[in-house]
Amino acid sequence: MSMPKTITRREFLKIAAGASIATGFTSAVRSIVIEPFIYPPEEELPGQATWYASTCRQCAAGCGIIVRTIDGRAKKIEGNPLHPLNRGKLCARGQAGLQVLYNPDRLKNAVRQVGGRGSRQFEPFYWPDALDLLSSKIAALSSTERFAFLGGLMPSHTYRLTSLLLEALGAAPPVIYDLQSALEGRSAVSQLSQALFGAPDLPEYDLSQSDVVLSFGANLLETWMSPVAQSVAYGAMRQGSMGRRGLLVQFEPRLSSTAASADEWVPVQPGAEGFVALAIGRIIVEERLGHVGSHQSQAVLYQNVDVRDMSAASDVPVDTLRHLARVFADADRAVAIPGGYLSGQQNGFSSMLAVQALNLVIAQVGRQGGMFLSNPGPTAALRQNPPVNTFDEVMDLIRRMKAGEIDLLLLHSANPLYELPAAAGFFEAIARVPFVVSFSPVVDETAVWADLILPDHTYLESWGYQVPSPGADRPVVNSQQPVVSPLYDTLATSDVLLGLAARLGGKLAAALSWRDEASYLEETVSELHGSSLGAYSARTPSGFWALWRQYGGWWSEKQIRREPELTDIVQKPLLIAEPHFEGDPQDYPFHLYPYSSITLSDGRGANLPWLQETPDPMTTVQWGMWVEINPETAEGLGISDNDVVQVESPHGSMEASVVIYPGIRPDIVAIPVGQGHQDYGRFAQAVIGSNPMALVAPVTDPDTGALAWGATRVRLKPIGKKQVLARLESLDGNGRESLG
Amino acid sequence: MTRRLLLFFSILILAAVLVTRAQVLASPEQPVAFNHQIHAQAGVQCLFCHSSALRADIAGIPSMQKCMGCHTIIATDNVAVQVLTSYWKRKEPIPWVRVSWQPEFVYFSHQAHLRTGENCETCHGDVGRMPLTRPAVKMDMGWCLDCHLLQPEEKVVRLADCLTCHK
Repeated sequence: MSMPKTITRREFLKIAAGASIATGFTSAVRSIVIEPFIYPPEEELPGQATWYASTCRQCAAGCGIIVRTIDGRAKKIEGNPLHPLNRGKLCARGQAGLQVLYNPDRLKNAVRQVGGRGSRQFEPFYWPDALDLLSSKIAALSSTERFAFLGGLMPSHTYRLTSLLLEALGAAPPVIYDLQSALEGRSAVSQLSQALFGAPDLPEYDLSQSDVVLSFGANLLETWMSPVAQSVAYGAMRQGSMGRRGLLVQFEPRLSSTAASADEWVPVQPGAEGFVALAIGRIIVEERLGHVGSHQSQAVLYQNVDVRDMSAASDVPVDTLRHLARVFADADRAVAIPGGYLSGQQNGFSSMLAVQALNLVIAQVGRQGGMFLSNPGPTAALRQNPPVNTFDEVMDLIRRMKAGEIDLLLLHSANPLYELPAAAGFFEAIARVPFVVSFSPVVDETAVWADLILPDHTYLESWGYQVPSPGADRPVVNSQQPVVSPLYDTLATSDVLLGLAARLGGKLAAALSWRDEASYLEETVSELHGSSLGAYSARTPSGFWALWRQYGGWWSEKQIRREPELTDIVQKPLLIAEPHFEGDPQDYPFHLYPYSSITLSDGRGANLPWLQETPDPMTTVQWGMWVEINPETAEGLGISDNDVVQVESPHGSMEASVVIYPGIRPDIVAIPVGQGHQDYGRFAQAVIGSNPMALVAPVTDPDTGALAWGATRVRLKPIGKKQVLARLESLDGNGRESLG
Repeated sequence: MTRRLLLFFSILILAAVLVTRAQVLASPEQPVAFNHQIHAQAGVQCLFCHSSALRADIAGIPSMQKCMGCHTIIATDNVAVQVLTSYWKRKEPIPWVRVSWQPEFVYFSHQAHLRTGENCETCHGDVGRMPLTRPAVKMDMGWCLDCHLLQPEEKVVRLADCLTCHK
């Protein structure tokens, strides 16, 4: 073995110099690859933005959007400044729509499940073969009553084409259910309008012109109904555009983000919100408050109401009720809003009726700063908006499925296995259906149990129209157009329906005779051409079609509000039943309050990382879920922050970390909905969490058949584990964490 | 000894500089042997393919659909065209190697330059005579300024301002 050669200083310098020269020889030219388009996008100009107007489909509100596209790719979504509903504003869920388009878990083609339903083994399926298979399944049905269609937040035109197809077949109309609609009480509100005003259209509240707003469990600024339009109006009301600052009073058992923005938060006993409304009404009538003269005609409404009883039942002191009655009645313009939390009780309808009656008592129905009815679609075709079915009607479908009466089930934008209470038994029901087809763009919990998945385009790739409901202060029809070419080999469900009709022939082909989706839309929309109301006019139908897409829809130039006409239901004394809750109060001491998350809404946003990382405004939790309990309750149970508890109802149980939250009644356990996905893609599945729908009892308000999602009692059990939640802010209550 | 070594290194460094310079101005190897000369001789205008030069910052490269608009029937026996067609059939974009480029911190607009009456050859050289496209000049800042400083006096102030190109 020789000694290692030592390197002299000179040799070192030589080597170093040589190495640096050798480095100089290597390529000084950067190689940059530029790829051309195979098919260039329309109107594309490299490096320059093209903005397309369309409609947001992240919730049912239907805000107008404009989407910036560069080189054929969607880059940014903003609110459409011309749109009468959201006036240029857009919420976080709307902004996150890009991640619906670019979601890595989207299906890239039609698939069939080869390892049996639930195996999650999917194999690409050629579209024409898929349509052939589905049409053969329809043709082979022994009776068209054995065909069912379950929808969620369906595009209006797809809903209409589906209805036409089912009608031509002689099958039952589509059943529409989604959790967000259930949480905001959409079907109950529609039934309330029908009862009070003889029309199923949703009320539209003139918040911006109101001086006093009493919100009974309506999270106006979060997810309820049309949150962006309501936030814009709330801004106008609070910033004193009328020379004074409006007052917002929020009645609900938990301090929501809306309640935190309100002047007063009144934590009412769950299910007793209607009693508060009755008491306020009684006081106004009795004391002849306000400036509408005599309340004699309304005295009959409150003849059985005792203010002291109402106060005891609702946990609101008589003095507070009296004060609120004065503030409400004495205001120039005031409005009371029956919100989603009320609809989630077994006395929901009568409570909502009592709240709406307050608007009658102070004569704010059809008056500025009060309540109006939404304008329906301006033409017959556009009036066929997807209605929301009641939970009872969904249960009826589940019963038929369980009884083996359904042979073919089609699902569009519905994820019942996630969105229905587990106790509703949809899982057992779907197993009994021989052939299931889902149109979901991603594999969600329900699509896992489908034989075929025929992915629809995502909304930024789709055509459509929508009459927003609740609407704006004028008739509006939104237009929806693709802002990019479809990224993958997906197919518009409307085109699938037209393809099925063409294959099945006969009556079906006659009922759905359009060549494709776009020609259906062009024909339907052309009915608006020539209307004298429109904010723009075009000489030719094709000119109108162009403007319709450029503006993002059609709307009246002038404000046209629809004043409701009263039916005689308001001549009878108001009566509200005692709220009834599932579970013995001894065994289950708390009321469960599953609420819609401001980011994930009912869980449909859970696969979008931008929404997962957005901190919840009240708890600042990100990428997680939690159980909110009052500090007093926590102390009684010996629980501290981040302790994992088991929440148990008579119908199921789940676990989650605790957030000790002072803004909640001690008898309430609140859980945000949206996490706990078994499927629905990597981001939704990555979060540790459970679905509170496992706890909810499948009970309804007997007056409406709507799901009484707030009528379940639960108990809490610490399990001796801690799971620390990721929060943006510290728990010390002193605001943001500092580096010091 | 030291002097000879120094001379040797100097020659090496000079060679390195020259080779690098040659590399900068060489034709990069392209996946398809596209020939600008043939296209120019056939009378195809620059703006037919690089159609957004007059309307946008970026001149653009033609979509494959545009190539196939002609090459479905023209010169189908040419090897390069056959390579193009094979990409087209696979619906795969051709990974062209960029010939002329500016770094990301430079705001350059084709539209602005063409509007002043400059033509493509001023910067890109006589591409119409290049069978294989290569950069005509090294597009560095000194070269930009050589031209900017020769402009009429009232324009020079703006054209020599840092923020005109480095926003």
